[in-house]
Amino acid sequence: MKYILMMNTMRAGQGVPQWDQKDLQAHIAFMIGLNKGLRQSGELVSAEGLSFPDQAKLVRAGTDGVPITDGVFPESKEFLAGYWIVDVDSPERAYAIAAKVSAAPGPGGTPLNMPIEVRPIMSGPPPEML
Amino acid sequence: MKYILLMSGAKAGVDSYHAWSQKDIETHMAVLRSITNDLSGSGEFVATQGLAEPAEAKVVRGEKNGMPVTDGIFPESKEFLLGYWIVDVATPERAYAIAGRISAAPGPGGAPTNMPIEVRRFAAYEQSKSQ
Repeated sequence: MKYILMMNTMRAGQGVPQWDQKDLQAHIAFMIGLNKGLRQSGELVSAEGLSFPDQAKLVRAGTDGVPITDGVFPESKEFLAGYWIVDVDSPERAYAIAAKVSAAPGPGGTPLNMPIEVRPIMSGPPPEML
Repeated sequence: MKYILLMSGAKAGVDSYHAWSQKDIETHMAVLRSITNDLSGSGEFVATQGLAEPAEAKVVRGEKNGMPVTDGIFPESKEFLLGYWIVDVATPERAYAIAGRISAAPGPGGAPTNMPIEVRRFAAYEQSKSQ
């Protein structure tokens, strides 16, 4: 079964570039190692990082079909920073991987303990919708 | 360049979707399928997924001993990801145009939902890795 593991940030929390070089390298090395392990176990479907929230746009269709973009978000909005899609045997395994992601090292090597949202992915639209 | 188009909704939105008629749901899904078909035809389609109900969502944190701590309690106002499209397009404007089409997908009675679609570019590192 497939799960998506979502790492979210508040806008104020996009502080990764302010970390010192060593902490940033340790964090990235940890993530690369984690992805490598998931690739070897055959559980990694995909993993991507998103660009920072200052580039995010909200789009709605206008009545004439022309997209209307808006980049103004409430301060409290959570932004997706990155995600992993994993194919695992049980929800518990998805939670265990999420806990590893959560424990990625931050400044001074201390685990960040970031909250990671874990959601099952639908294998397809429900049959009644096709 | 790759963009992810995120369709999100809070509890109120998810509850109202459950009240749509069968016909409205079918019409909505048919339009979304035709958008995916068009994107496949133009070579811009990368992936799309729908997520299972927010009721199944958990938030996980690692404890000191590495054991996962799960929590499934969320504020009513929390926006949940409902589904996404990943597209590979030449310009940001093209990503906005696709998001506009998704936003205009019909809702109850065939009126456009005008759902807000969040458009985010993949980080440059990930882009170079996948090229």
